[in-house]
Amino acid sequence: MEPITLVIILVCIIIGGMLGSLGVHLLPVGGAPAAMATATGIATGCVMLMTGSAVTGLFTASSVATFWESNPSVLLVSLSGGVGAMLMMGFTMLIANLIYIFGAGVVPVSGRAAVDPITKESQTEYKTPRTDGHGVPNVCFYSGIVGGFVGGFGGALIYVVLVSSGYAGFSVETAVVVALGIFIANAIMAAYNIGGTIEGFHDPKFKERIVTGLTCAFVISLMCGIMVLIAIETGTLGAGGVL
Amino acid sequence: MPVISLFAWMLVIVFLAFVACMFEDLESDVGSQSNPNSQVQLAPEMGYIHRYYNKAISGEGLSYALACTIAGTIALLLLLQFEPTYGPKAAILAIPVGAAVGSISHMIRSSVCYPGREAAHKRFEQPIYLDVFYGHLVPIATHNFIAVICITAIAYIQSHLTVLSGVSGTSNPFPLPLLCLIWGITVGAIGSSTGDIHYGTEREFQDRPFGEGRRVIYHGQICRYGDCGIRTSKDVVAFCAKYGGPATGLTFGLIVLFENWRTVIGMMLGGLTGAAWNPGIAAASGVGLGIAVAIVLIVLNTWLVRWARKKYGPFVGE
Repeated sequence: MEPITLVIILVCIIIGGMLGSLGVHLLPVGGAPAAMATATGIATGCVMLMTGSAVTGLFTASSVATFWESNPSVLLVSLSGGVGAMLMMGFTMLIANLIYIFGAGVVPVSGRAAVDPITKESQTEYKTPRTDGHGVPNVCFYSGIVGGFVGGFGGALIYVVLVSSGYAGFSVETAVVVALGIFIANAIMAAYNIGGTIEGFHDPKFKERIVTGLTCAFVISLMCGIMVLIAIETGTLGAGGVL
Repeated sequence: MPVISLFAWMLVIVFLAFVACMFEDLESDVGSQSNPNSQVQLAPEMGYIHRYYNKAISGEGLSYALACTIAGTIALLLLLQFEPTYGPKAAILAIPVGAAVGSISHMIRSSVCYPGREAAHKRFEQPIYLDVFYGHLVPIATHNFIAVICITAIAYIQSHLTVLSGVSGTSNPFPLPLLCLIWGITVGAIGSSTGDIHYGTEREFQDRPFGEGRRVIYHGQICRYGDCGIRTSKDVVAFCAKYGGPATGLTFGLIVLFENWRTVIGMMLGGLTGAAWNPGIAAASGVGLGIAVAIVLIVLNTWLVRWARKKYGPFVGE
C-alpha cells in the first residue's frame, strides 16, 4: 500500500478518536444521581451513552456507504454518522425531559451555572436544595446535540476509512468491530478523565480536563492506528487486511 | 410500489423498536437494574430492609448487547441450516428460538446476581427472600424475551430488506449478530437514559414530596410499602408501565423511524437505484433532513423547558 494512504488512514483514525473523546466531554452525563434527579444530565454513564449514539450513527453511515459501489465519500458518510448520533442524543434528551417534567414534576435546571450561558435564563432559584441540579436544561441540550454530532462523526470517520476500498479495504464486519474498539477505548478514557458527572461545555470541569482528555485520546488513537497499519501491511486480518 | 413496500417494512421496524425498548425498560424495572439500583443497593446500609429484586448484571447497554447478540448468533446459525431448504420461512423458527436462548442466558445471569448481592448485605441484616428470588425470575425472562425477539426481528428485517421489500441495495451490510449487537447497545443506552428516571426519581421515592429533585440526604431511604402490603419490584413495573416504559419505547421508536426515514427519502431524492441514481445527492439529502429534524428537536426542547419554568415556577420549600 502507498505510504501516503497509510498516513491518511492513521490521521483519520487519530482525528476520529479525538473527536470521539471530545464528544464524550460535551455530553451532559449525570450518571446514577441523574436517575434520582439529584444531578443534571442524562441518567447513564458516559461510555454507554456515547457508544449508544455512535453505533446508531454507524448504522446509518454503513447504509449510506453502500450507496457507492466502491470508494464511498468519506465526508458524506461521516456526516451521516454524525447526524445519526445527533438525532439519537436529541430524542433521548427530549424524552428524558418529558419524564422529568411530567413524571417527576421537576424543572430542568443546571447545577453548575447560575445563568444559562446561551438562553440567559436564571437557574439557581429553580434548583432543589442539596442537589446538583436536575433534568436536561437548554444549555446541556445544545451541548449534547453538538457532542453527539462530533462523536458520531468521529466514529463514522474511522469506519469509512477502514471499509473504503480506496483506503484500508477491510470487510464491513472487520471495519465496524475495529472502529467500535477504537471508539470505545477513547470513550472509556474520556469517562475516566471526567470522573463522574459533567454538564457540557459550560461546566468548569470541561475547561479543566479537556486538554488532558484530548491528549490521552491522541495517544490511544495513535497506538490503535499503528496496530491497524501493522494489520494492513502484514495481512494479519486475513489476506491483505481483509477478512 | 417497491417504495411503498420499503416504507411498510420501515414502519414494521419502528413498531418493533417501540415494543423492544418499552419492554427493555420494564425488564430493568422488574429486575431493578442500572442506575436506580444504586438506591436498592444502598438501602440496607441505611437501615431500610426491603423486598426489591437486586440485580445489576452490568450497565443495561452491555447486558442487552450480550443477550441480543446471543439471540442473533443462534438465529443466524438456524437460518444458515434451514434457509436453503425452507427459504424465508426458516425465520419463523430461527428468531423465536434465538430470542429464547438469549433470554434464558439473561435469566441465568439475573439468578446469580440476587443471592450474590444480598448475601453481601448480611452484615446489614438484609435477608435473601426466596419468594422474591423465585417470583421475579419469570417476569425478568419474559420481559427480556419480548425485547430480544423484537431486536432480533429488526436485525433480520434490516439484513434481508432487499429480499423482503423488493428494492435492490436496501439490505444493511452488517450481518445479523452485528446488527443485534448494535441495537442491543442502543436499546440499553436509551432504556438506561430515559426510563430509569421514572423508576429512580418517582417510584423509589414515592413517599417524598412530588416535584423536587431527590436530595442527597434521601438516598438509600427508598419507599418500601405498596398500595397493599410490602412493595416488591413487580409493583414497580406495573407503575412504570403507565408512563416511563412507553416513553422509553417512544424514544427508540422515533430514533429508528427518523434514521430510516431520512435514509429512504434521501434514496428517493437520489433517484432510488437505476440509471438516474446519484449517491452524493442521496447521502447529502439524508444529512440535510437529519439536521432539519435536529433543529426541530432543539426548538421543541427550548419550548418545553420554558413552559415548565413558567408553569411550575421557582422552587418553593426548604
